[in-house]
Amino acid sequence: MSAAVKIAKPIDWTGIVFAAVLTLVIVVPLLVVGTWAFTNVWRFPSVIPQEFGLKFWYQTLARADVWSSITMSLTLATTVTLLSAVICLPAAYAFARLDFPGRDILFFSFLAGHAFPKFGLLVAIAGIFLQLNLIGTFWGVVLIQLVGTLLFMIWIPVAAFQAVDRRMEEAARDVGASPFRVFWSITLPQAGPTIAAALLLSFVGTFYETEGAWLIGAPQVRTLPVLMISFINNQPVIQYGAVLSVLLWVPSFIALLFARRVVNSGSFAKGFGG
Amino acid sequence: MTTQAAGALAPAPAQRKRPIGLLLVAVPVLLVLWLIIWPIIAAMIQTIWLPTSDGGRGFSVSSYQFFASDPYSRSNLAITLWTTGVCAALLLVVCLPIALYLRFSDSRIAAYVQGLAIFPMFVPSIILSFAFIRVLGPNGTVDLLLNSVGLPKIKSPYLTPWGPVIGLVWDNIPLTVLILLSGLGNVSNQAIEAARDVGAGRFALLWHIILPRISNSILVAISFAVLGIFSAFTLPYVLGPAAPEMMGPFMQRTFRDLFDPTNALTQAVITFAFCILFGLFYVRSVAKNRTP
Repeated sequence: MSAAVKIAKPIDWTGIVFAAVLTLVIVVPLLVVGTWAFTNVWRFPSVIPQEFGLKFWYQTLARADVWSSITMSLTLATTVTLLSAVICLPAAYAFARLDFPGRDILFFSFLAGHAFPKFGLLVAIAGIFLQLNLIGTFWGVVLIQLVGTLLFMIWIPVAAFQAVDRRMEEAARDVGASPFRVFWSITLPQAGPTIAAALLLSFVGTFYETEGAWLIGAPQVRTLPVLMISFINNQPVIQYGAVLSVLLWVPSFIALLFARRVVNSGSFAKGFGG
Repeated sequence: MTTQAAGALAPAPAQRKRPIGLLLVAVPVLLVLWLIIWPIIAAMIQTIWLPTSDGGRGFSVSSYQFFASDPYSRSNLAITLWTTGVCAALLLVVCLPIALYLRFSDSRIAAYVQGLAIFPMFVPSIILSFAFIRVLGPNGTVDLLLNSVGLPKIKSPYLTPWGPVIGLVWDNIPLTVLILLSGLGNVSNQAIEAARDVGAGRFALLWHIILPRISNSILVAISFAVLGIFSAFTLPYVLGPAAPEMMGPFMQRTFRDLFDPTNALTQAVITFAFCILFGLFYVRSVAKNRTP
């Protein structure tokens, strides 16, 4: 390495090849979808569209099924994220700070769902829901998506609470702050950003959750990804699907802006067992 | 809680078992019991404790016998095993070189390659399916480009078993690269340099120094991929052939379209059986990296 620094750096041919191939297979397909969304006319065999324009944006956004599924997706994701926060954050605090019987085994019990193939597990849950008449209902979908958020919403906040500086909390207690005041003014501001990331992750994950929504909810509960499946299967107008794809990507884009740094850090891969 | 707690020598909380913690974790733990543990047990019971002709229920393995003797079910299982195997092999072939390159390079191109390799994590699989059809489907971009230079159209992988393979590999690249890269972090530069000093070539370096040190990460990456791919639903449902179908779409159709929960649950239990070793290994690896 030290010899390489003195002379001019050689051209990174391996890197250029990887970059070119990955651009071709990862970026180009998405650019094609983006192009379709802003195309009024694109007939075979023209390589570029005959006419660009926003015609299909107006048409897609005028469809009632698009708006009802956007509303449905946002309502579902908000409900699931709030419920998840209400039940998971106190639990995360307890795991991080309190000692109680069975703490370790209960902490790892949230991994149980990850030892099984996901769709098989969903079918098993659907078997239970069938007896409870939850198939095709809003709350059935909420429950199945809520289960999917538990691991993230407990494990990430536990790490956040554990990272809070205990000496600051003790100092606040020493000068007479109540436990609630300590939590509100010391603990929460320090753990806040990580907890916010967990909330964002849970919201975006729920927004894109397709399999549970399709198995439990369809056709009564139609989320945006579920509508997208029916567009792909039955919609001859390509642009509707393309416009919906661009709309559908917005939450992921927001997550991308916030999460890049988290994902690139080594601890993220460790969370997946790497 | 009491006035004594504000005193100078508050007892350290870790020293006392406080059942109030149990109360705080009760709801999510009960949810796990009710919606993960119980459905798995119930699925197993329901598929071997079947209704009998006299109106009661009795032990019977007839739904499993049906699965084993039904040619359609068996070909679905076979296509699932084939897809999972091909995807796992392709993922290693694609991701290991990327991870090796990222581990041993620090150029600006490497940062770009890493960004691209992680990017599919931020593309929902349903958008990926649509992009796949627009590029590789009939009259897609590849056909357009071939046609413009006077070449014949491709034989599209859309609606063939290769459709889900391509989609699932694309979808699983980010986490496979990240897990392998995290494993490569354990290979020290000294070990590499020592081997180079004694004249080890690139291949010997990979085979004798690097691979033995990352074998665990490779197993974790494969387990994670197998768990995701074996019962994948969206990509096989949208991109795959109508028959034979992978276990995911098969279970969904049996449950929702044929209204046959007993056979759907049988299929689910069979997917559990095929994945249980990967699942346990994967969960054990995640748990080892995390202390409560």
